[in-house]
Amino acid sequence: MPPQILFVLLLILIGGLFHIIPLLTRPDLFFAVTVAPEFRRTSGARRILSRYRAIVWSFTLVASGLELVSGMAVAAVLLQVMGFLWALVGGHRAALAYAASPSSILEVDLAMPQERLPGGPIVALLPVLFLGALGLWVGFHRDRLPPQFPVHWGLHGADRWVAATPAAVFGFLAIHAFVCLLLVGLAWGLLYWSRRISTTGVAAAAERRFRRRVVQFLIVNAYLLVCPAWFGLFHPAAAVINIWGLALATVVVAFAVSLMRGGQGGSRAAVAAGTAPVGDRTPDACWKWGLLYINPADPSILIEKRFGIGYTLNFGNPWTWVVLALLFVVPAAGFLFLR
Amino acid sequence: MILRIDLKSPVPVYRQIVDAVRILLVNGQLNPGDSLPPVRRLALDLGVHFNTVAEAYRTLEEEGWLEIGRRSGARVVARTVSNRCDPATGEAFQRRLREMVAEAQAQGFPRSRITRELRRLADTLERS
Repeated sequence: MPPQILFVLLLILIGGLFHIIPLLTRPDLFFAVTVAPEFRRTSGARRILSRYRAIVWSFTLVASGLELVSGMAVAAVLLQVMGFLWALVGGHRAALAYAASPSSILEVDLAMPQERLPGGPIVALLPVLFLGALGLWVGFHRDRLPPQFPVHWGLHGADRWVAATPAAVFGFLAIHAFVCLLLVGLAWGLLYWSRRISTTGVAAAAERRFRRRVVQFLIVNAYLLVCPAWFGLFHPAAAVINIWGLALATVVVAFAVSLMRGGQGGSRAAVAAGTAPVGDRTPDACWKWGLLYINPADPSILIEKRFGIGYTLNFGNPWTWVVLALLFVVPAAGFLFLR
Repeated sequence: MILRIDLKSPVPVYRQIVDAVRILLVNGQLNPGDSLPPVRRLALDLGVHFNTVAEAYRTLEEEGWLEIGRRSGARVVARTVSNRCDPATGEAFQRRLREMVAEAQAQGFPRSRITRELRRLADTLERS
């Protein structure tokens, strides 16, 4: 299949994801605005949703045409994302007219135990430790490395190679270790630096399950990330990397489907059990365009997204900026090493 | 063991935490040896500043309900109070009770409801 057709199919898949995203949020949040749970079934909500979808699909169509005619893949993706953002912000503004005042009551179950990393911190950090050990071994056995090793793989195998200089080898391992550490750090942050919204009953259990699944997803990906470092240095030409790619794609799809079925924060299970919705216990005023959460009074660093599945950062917390700075500085240093 | 606070209440959040935890302590839902969530955890779950929760815990520690360790967090301790009621405390209690009843009446609470609530509280106290 020609790569352009494949890319267009990918754009259509992303368009499909954008199409269903508004349905995955908590029932009393609509385009990141707190609304009455029954609002979704009104004509006002349907009108906002239809307009959002019309914009999303229009931009997907134009982006696909751009890709087919000119092959400008990056421009096509940017166009599609811009369309999505435009549709989202428009939907958010329209939904503000129907905003309900959220409950001012906050509840916490004092007996609710602190959730922990699955298997403990050592199990979560094993990939990082393994990469560290690999770096140590390489330091003593550089003569056993090939003269060149791949640093990027495409659909047809390795497509970018670099000379196995000490800087390149250690930079390559350091980048993998950094990303593993980042994934484990995110998992830890979700457990220790994010708010638990539901406190009792089915809703709390569903939310715990949702969070545990996200944490498992992050840890499994940290483990999977060790493979390209290993294959790159020791089996650079092996086709086994394709199996790894397939495994990674399977894991991502399996977790994505599982999370989507549960809805944001496992809210679908709570709705099915007839539990009264509680929103996400964040003030509407702190959500800019429904996307960015900026609340200096909230100590959480990670917070449930109001639009879509997963978590986002509280940009009002100074620690968020420290994390973001690290996220840019370390990859930039790694890029300089591998140039 | 649900701790409930109202962000719209004129009572400061730290005071609401103190009052809510004290009710749990007095009712025997929290007993000596029980642990409370760490300051960071409770602040995150409530979405309030760490200092707000820390201040509430400190107040409860000063009242003799809690022991706060650097690593062990907040733990409920056995508290000994004499049954002897000094006149000032008794008067303050009476005044606060009257103020509360007057406030409830001013807000439109029917007398029958207030009486019922006070009776229910008295029954709970007698049973404990």
